[in-house]
Amino acid sequence: MPLAVELRSITKRFGSFVANENVSLAVERGSIHAIIGENGAGKTTLMNVLFGLLQPDEGEIRIDDQKVVLPNPAAAIAAGIGMVHQHFKLVPSLTVADNVFLGMEIRKRGLIDHPAQIERTAALSRQFGLQVDPGERVGLLSVGIEQRIEILKVLARGARTIILDEPTAVLTPQESRELFQTLRGFVAQGMTVLFISHHLEEVMEVSDTVTVLRDGKEVATRPTAGLSKPELVQMMVGRPVNFDRRPRQPSTGATVLEVRDLWARDDRRLAALRGVSFDVRAGEIVGIAGVAGNGQTELAEVIAGLRPASHGSISLAGQSLVGLSAREIRAAGVAHVPANRLLRGVDRNASIASNILMGRQGQRPWSRFGVIDQTYLTGQTRALITRFDIRTRGPDSPVKSLSGGNIQKVVLAREFSADARFLLVDQPTRGVDIGATEAIHGELMRQRAEGRAILLISVQLDELMALADRILVIFSGLVMDDLQGDGVSEEELGLLMAGVRPGAAPVAEVA
Amino acid sequence: MADRLLALSGQALAIMLALLLGAIIILTINESPLRVLETLLRGAFGNEERIAGTLLQTTPILVCGIAACVSLRGGLFNIGIEGQLFMGGFAASWVGFSFALPPIVHMLVAIAFAAIAGIAWVAIPAYFRARFNTNEVVSTILGNYVAVLITSYLTIEIFKRPGGLPDTPPILPSAYLPELFSFSRLNWGLVIGIVLAVAAQLFFQRTSRGYAITEMGANPKFAEYGGIDIRRQTFLVLLASGAIGGLAGGIEALGVHHRFMEGFAPGFGFDGVIAALLANGSPIGTIATALFFGALRSGSLLLEVDTTASREIITVIQALIILAVSAQITIRRRAADSTAGERRWKF
Amino acid sequence: MEVLERLLNVSLIVATLRTTAPILLVSLGGSFTTKAGIFNIGLEGQMLVGAFFAVIGTIFSGSPWIGMLCGVLAAVVLAYVFALLVVTFQANEVVVGLALNILAGGITVSLLKAIFGTRGSIFGHGLIGLPIVHLPFARELGWFGQMISGYTPLVYVAFLLVPVLIVFYRHTRLGLYIRVVGEKPEAAEALGISISRIRYVASLICGVLAGLAGAHLSLGYTTMFTENMSAGRGFMAVAILIFSNGDPLKIVLGCLLFGFSDALSLRLQTLGISSYLVLAVPYLVALAALFALSYRARPRIIRETLATMGRVLSVKPAQESKG
Repeated sequence: MPLAVELRSITKRFGSFVANENVSLAVERGSIHAIIGENGAGKTTLMNVLFGLLQPDEGEIRIDDQKVVLPNPAAAIAAGIGMVHQHFKLVPSLTVADNVFLGMEIRKRGLIDHPAQIERTAALSRQFGLQVDPGERVGLLSVGIEQRIEILKVLARGARTIILDEPTAVLTPQESRELFQTLRGFVAQGMTVLFISHHLEEVMEVSDTVTVLRDGKEVATRPTAGLSKPELVQMMVGRPVNFDRRPRQPSTGATVLEVRDLWARDDRRLAALRGVSFDVRAGEIVGIAGVAGNGQTELAEVIAGLRPASHGSISLAGQSLVGLSAREIRAAGVAHVPANRLLRGVDRNASIASNILMGRQGQRPWSRFGVIDQTYLTGQTRALITRFDIRTRGPDSPVKSLSGGNIQKVVLAREFSADARFLLVDQPTRGVDIGATEAIHGELMRQRAEGRAILLISVQLDELMALADRILVIFSGLVMDDLQGDGVSEEELGLLMAGVRPGAAPVAEVA
Repeated sequence: MADRLLALSGQALAIMLALLLGAIIILTINESPLRVLETLLRGAFGNEERIAGTLLQTTPILVCGIAACVSLRGGLFNIGIEGQLFMGGFAASWVGFSFALPPIVHMLVAIAFAAIAGIAWVAIPAYFRARFNTNEVVSTILGNYVAVLITSYLTIEIFKRPGGLPDTPPILPSAYLPELFSFSRLNWGLVIGIVLAVAAQLFFQRTSRGYAITEMGANPKFAEYGGIDIRRQTFLVLLASGAIGGLAGGIEALGVHHRFMEGFAPGFGFDGVIAALLANGSPIGTIATALFFGALRSGSLLLEVDTTASREIITVIQALIILAVSAQITIRRRAADSTAGERRWKF
Repeated sequence: MEVLERLLNVSLIVATLRTTAPILLVSLGGSFTTKAGIFNIGLEGQMLVGAFFAVIGTIFSGSPWIGMLCGVLAAVVLAYVFALLVVTFQANEVVVGLALNILAGGITVSLLKAIFGTRGSIFGHGLIGLPIVHLPFARELGWFGQMISGYTPLVYVAFLLVPVLIVFYRHTRLGLYIRVVGEKPEAAEALGISISRIRYVASLICGVLAGLAGAHLSLGYTTMFTENMSAGRGFMAVAILIFSNGDPLKIVLGCLLFGFSDALSLRLQTLGISSYLVLAVPYLVALAALFALSYRARPRIIRETLATMGRVLSVKPAQESKG
């Protein structure tokens, strides 16, 4: 089999950090090759090297058996490589066709020929079975369609090898399946697909070959057929992981949080929550499962007072939270671990102590008569650093000097030390390494044992299945079902996340 | 500590570069840079009176600089300090010449009116910034032009002193800010400025409100998440900044001019903003930068007399310094941390 | 009635077009930086050096056209420094813009004194303005001809640039790239479009137009240079750019509003209203427009709510139809 792409002994460093160390990769033409590894294993770095976005410090790249140097993406595109990034790079105010041909516009007498671009886009869309309306403005379209446009962009540039970086992270399982079908169609037409994922099932389902990366090194490359899931996990993590679920008993604690018929809008002012109701009791973890972008973030923000509810009620131990400010809600006993910790959870340039102070700067004993008690703050910060095992030089170190996992521990340390009765925890382990994830899970279980009510929002199903007593599935702003954590199967969850209720018509999606 | 030293040495290097550029510009207008420098130094520090003159120029720059620091700390650009200074100066003068009150009380009332006028002048841009996120840079700059025209109108067409000059009647001595020395108009305003700088520094470093404002400037999303009412605080920070800007005008009227006139205190508001930027938002640092700009200004008076260069050459030098420092800070920041720079006002 | 007649007539329209032209030129220049995602508070300074060097160039060459070229070059130099600091060094746009404005003010006054030994303003010295263009067919058009003929060339340039820019942003590659760089820089980067190059180009074109605006101020609108003669027009342009989002059509509407208020206020002066108050009118109009148009965001919420509700009601969730 001829090789479409070959990477030989690629090493890429960022300062003292080695993102890829001596990684080699051989991709056969006409195959789907998956690259799998944990967050931070170096998958995206490696693909950025192949796409000319990063220059390798050592090693060589070969395309169609020719040694090439790819100083920029344009060179990679010219060599027949295309990349669909994890975060889409489309211009909302332009049409689908304008986006597809951006950078290679069809021109007539010096001016852009919009009708010709629309026609060509329609033709491509038919040829590859990627349905889009070429004249529509991209800003109005859903994520799934945006991904199709990104793929069309790559195809319009004549790519024969397509790199997809975590393409399914934003899709429902059903949309993912459609995507896989499209990818198989590409392979049938002689193209090659490189597919980055950390999702085991997907990789097993769609790929011909798997390469596992761990800590920037290549662990193994194997044909997918004949690999088992535990084998893959062990290669990814470097040791066997215990996926067993803990035994559960229904919580008998008092109801702490009560949400009834809650409605809210997203930033585009469209309905993001459409009548959500649920309870969380003391001493239980209620999980919210769902594909990202189905109202989870809005739900957390509404409860925390960062986004207004348009209708409905939220009460905490009988006290209504609707209409209260974020400060009053905190004072009422809500702690919040936000989904995007760098954006909301910390001030990266400030010290750990400064970050621990947030939200309590006006309370005794943190401050007295408006003056901050520095001694108390430093002492408390030291104690929290020890308790949460934050790896740092001390309370005065800036947060930006910490790793992702340790930054998250700073957020948890602040929020879990507020002695709140309700913990709102959104994506606690996103981008966090395995060691820190285990520590964070342990801390959540400890808080549960202490009788706190916890709402755990996560896009990682295994996390929810490992921790949650009950799992609510959210789809398009609606709670689909309330499931006991013990007896849930991933298939069942997957269907619900796609808006399909067993034995019922699918819920219409509201754009 | 090593970090700070590196930062300071970088800053010094940038200033040297700016001075070098300034020297080249001075050469192009057929003047000797050394002679200009010598004249500036002599004009600023030549004798007791000139030193006092430098401090006299420093005072409004310092107070305006603190006004700027307050807004910059909260991530806001109040570029309308010039306008607040004019309004404050006029309000203080009006109280000073319209009412007869006991000494000290008269002065305090006049100063209070100056601050209130500053607040009033910034209130509308502040409200729209807080409520609708209307760009405060543009709204406060445009406000400056209106403030200068309105105070001119009031001075010349309503309160004109008989006798031709575009002045208001003189302020009664009961409202004067006492002078510090017999040989200069240098007055208690300087003391007020220094006390304000120290107070602002302590406020931002030690108090919970100061912390809340600093965090709002550093990462507003984080501050909002932590329960800080961004809208309310944005409004209050701009009002506080405006109050200090107005106060600067009051000090200038009650301490130096003892009346309001057309062309009252030109450019001090802008110099204050620049001084605060150069000090990176630190009130204590602003004492040093304000002194530097005050010396440039007072030196430039002699420049006009003794050389062919115009005194505006110093604004050229100031601008060059800001430009050089803005580029230099970026280089250092990028070397240290490729993703820093959320603080909107950092160079 | 008589007062109204004195205020409103063809010559007011003519005056409006004349006062609109300089702010229109500088705003259209700012449209490039706005569309490219740069907040350009430095327009004021670029305009000012444009005006000054246009005068210097005219006096030394004897030709207003060469003077205009000098003005444009000077503004482009300032625009280049702006781009260098903001794009390459990634320094803060507001800080750099303000510093360049201060620099422009200082340099023009210093050079004025160094060259002519005076402060304040210069005229005479052999200074001649740009020629007035009489459209050949205008006389046959009656009052309309009166309205469109007899301006200096840059007035025509300003208004003709509006349709040119509309086509430019919609149908040319550079126009498209400028928009992409401003709206979604990641998209440009991914396609190998150099963000910094586009931003440089946008800044420099902006400098050209700001320089023309300055030259128009000192060689067309008047025939003299005065200290700080841009008088905040650059800042008003920024206000217009904020609420027009850089769209040429909205820009011209905004500028006409300012031109009109400017022209009207000059007439109010003849009615004996204090010149100080009259001079404040354009700034107040700019502020009022800025505030009013940010308040406008309110009704949108209501509109969008209705849209959402409509959509939700038209697609009943299964849960509800089941129960």
